[in-house]
Amino acid sequence: MRGTTRTIAVAGVSALALLTAACNGGSSETTSATGGATGSASASGDTGASGGEITVNGCQPENQLIAGNTSETCGGDVLDTLTAKLVHYNSDTAEPEMDIAESIETDDNQNFTVKLKDYKFADGTPVTADSFVKAWNYTAYGPNGQGGSYFYGPIEGFDALQCTGTEEGKECEGTGKPKAEEMTGLKVVDDKTFTIKTTEKVSNLPVRLGYTAFAPQPESFFSDPEAFGKAPVGAGPFKFESWTEGQSIVVVKNPDYSGTNTAKIDKITFKFMQDMDAAYNELVANQLDLLTAIPVSALIDDKYKTELTDRNAQRETATIQWIGMNPKADPTLAKPELRKALSMAIDRETINKQIFNGTRTVSTGWVSPVVSGYKANACGEACVFDPAKAKAMLEQAGGYDGKLTLTYNTEGDHKTWTTAVCNSITDTLGIECTATPGGEFGEFLTNLTEGKTKGMFRNGWQMDYPSIENYLTPIYAKNADSNYFGPYDNPEFEKLLKEAAAAPSNDEANVKYQEAEAVLAEDFPTIPLFYGKATMGWSDKLNPVKITPFGTADFTSISLK
Amino acid sequence: MTESATVVQAVEATNAAGDVGEARSLGADAWRALRKKPLFWVSLVLITIFVLMAIWPSLFTNTDPDNAVLRQARERPNANAWFGRDIQGYDIYSRVVYGARASILVGVLTTTFTVLLGGAIGTLAAYAGGWVDALVSRVTDIFFAIPLLLGAILFMAATQPRGKPYFVIILLVVTAISILGWPSLARLMRSSVMQVLPNDYVQAARALGASPWRIIRKHIIPNAMGPLIVVSTINLGAYIAAEATLSFLGIGLQPPVISWGVSISDAIVGLRTTPHMLAFPSLFLSLTVLAFIMLGDAIRDAFDPKTR
Repeated sequence: MRGTTRTIAVAGVSALALLTAACNGGSSETTSATGGATGSASASGDTGASGGEITVNGCQPENQLIAGNTSETCGGDVLDTLTAKLVHYNSDTAEPEMDIAESIETDDNQNFTVKLKDYKFADGTPVTADSFVKAWNYTAYGPNGQGGSYFYGPIEGFDALQCTGTEEGKECEGTGKPKAEEMTGLKVVDDKTFTIKTTEKVSNLPVRLGYTAFAPQPESFFSDPEAFGKAPVGAGPFKFESWTEGQSIVVVKNPDYSGTNTAKIDKITFKFMQDMDAAYNELVANQLDLLTAIPVSALIDDKYKTELTDRNAQRETATIQWIGMNPKADPTLAKPELRKALSMAIDRETINKQIFNGTRTVSTGWVSPVVSGYKANACGEACVFDPAKAKAMLEQAGGYDGKLTLTYNTEGDHKTWTTAVCNSITDTLGIECTATPGGEFGEFLTNLTEGKTKGMFRNGWQMDYPSIENYLTPIYAKNADSNYFGPYDNPEFEKLLKEAAAAPSNDEANVKYQEAEAVLAEDFPTIPLFYGKATMGWSDKLNPVKITPFGTADFTSISLK
Repeated sequence: MTESATVVQAVEATNAAGDVGEARSLGADAWRALRKKPLFWVSLVLITIFVLMAIWPSLFTNTDPDNAVLRQARERPNANAWFGRDIQGYDIYSRVVYGARASILVGVLTTTFTVLLGGAIGTLAAYAGGWVDALVSRVTDIFFAIPLLLGAILFMAATQPRGKPYFVIILLVVTAISILGWPSLARLMRSSVMQVLPNDYVQAARALGASPWRIIRKHIIPNAMGPLIVVSTINLGAYIAAEATLSFLGIGLQPPVISWGVSISDAIVGLRTTPHMLAFPSLFLSLTVLAFIMLGDAIRDAFDPKTR
């Protein structure tokens, strides 16, 4: 659920980003090496010396750095380096591997027993079963307003923690106050063991537990979450050092890190960069160490390959991009036929070739091809450019009067492709369409959340955990954090999601999820556009950087030459 | 007494006529000087072309500037698209021709506003003198402290031009630049009027009982306008450049308005690979600015007796 501002980048290892907003930074990290490999580097060198500092491109987080409340990549990328979760996703395959968890066992897909290894937070306190249970209850508790709350939906007792008030803006007051503060499904057995009980069977629960929202929190978090959010403490391979508002976030290697995923470098500076071209120039000049998204200007004719010889990489990732619409904010877009007509009027192939220089794959559905459960061609002909059919569909929808806008956030390179999408619509359907800047990512998202954005808007998604489910529930479920589409609410879709979650096996679950995706194809709440590839470049002083299936850089494996 | 005075005058007049031909006004003198300057004619031709482009773009091209042929995006200049195509596949030549309107409109309107405002305030300050003069001078000082571009950026950011119609955006840009452009002209006009004020003909008009309005209109303004016209012509070019800068930064004119500043801003991605997208709008912008500055230069030379 993190929204990345940039189209391309997806960076965090565990993260999923919502590319919706394309905030730039989400995935990209540009590292500018500050002062080269600093002398302190303890040359324990196996492959590549360890130690040293790097500078990576980053962006201003939307909220404070609280694991349960970060659903965009700007903050998510940083939190990924700071936190350890029960499971860790393999940086090559995205398969979940045990991290803090010694084991997660279940006999019935409903009662899970989690045993923990001995981990310590960066502040020296031990990670206990309590650290998880309290953090999870906090995140799930309605009045805390945490963006990651819905991830806990499957856990027994979640409903009792939600506000029930009906008055807008005061859902949590008076009788609306939640009945409980703790989920009945979570029980601490001893310091190193706790149990999870879900309301219904959840086949993929262990896969989900690697998402940042499931990170444990130390005692200090609960006494003052506000202050904690400015200087977070996690159990990850890096620990937080400083955050200069609007400029940079610095993390350093966690000397007390307890896991196996140890960092090789000593310090990462996430430098907030608005202008990706400037960031790219810094990269070419070796002033920035890692750029997690190569700007369009350098992609043209594969220019970056000559300017960054032997220091660039590209990988297909789990990001997707689409155009969203809010029929409540803009009733003119209420008809699915109209949205399909718009979709068929977009020449994705040509845009990919001419604007993205082939750094995308044309979407054929709402789910990324890299996850299990993906079914090709879910969108069918509605995602295929066909001017004649688009016109016919528009007629069927009763035409469209007026002008359309396609709103984008101003970081990243969204203006160019949104303009091309608009031109394609104008050309094909004769509807005047203009790409319109909608402010920076934060402002853009706030407007989406409050339903103020009319017309079309750009969205993107970087997956949180590798499952088809992650492309459906967090985006299109009625109460989902990223459901900016009215919200989109279809009882049949909700029912299928529930059934899928309860399916006894992954395969059966996936079939149900595919049926749910088919419902999306009917209702067409959003227009799928592209699947992403991540293109990154790094400075001369780094060994090749690994791109994860999430489209993020694998920070812990980065090393200096 | 009376008779002798008349005689002297007549003699002088005869002499003058003998040397230089008939008497000419300052304006006529300047025109004579201008006619002989090639720089003047070059800039005039350029300006005529650009103004024609602004008024009647279809005279220069039949291609629709909004027709994006994405398949041919970034095409180099060729027979079908003289200046090539930009990143969206727009025909650059036609974009450049249609972009003239925004620039010329902003330049001309801003100059008009600043001349009217600055001229009036400057004249008032100089003529009234005393506390009015002091007040106006201090106010212009305050405006001088704010750099033109910075002030315009602040103004545009505060007014949020996003999504407003064409002329509203143009007027916003004009207002932004005018607000910060008038003080220099006001100062110029003030000093110019102060030079004219002590002249005998002004004193005579006053002695004859002419109203202040009549004195200003008939005697002061015609004689004090010269420097104002010169400087504002040069400024016109600078205002066009300021508009392009604002548009380039994304806070001036916005798509779908076609403007050179926007075109340059969009083409910048191709700087490394397809610089022709950047070159043509930049060239036209430079030529326009240059033409107005050259014209201003030529006029200044013509009006300034010291250069003759």
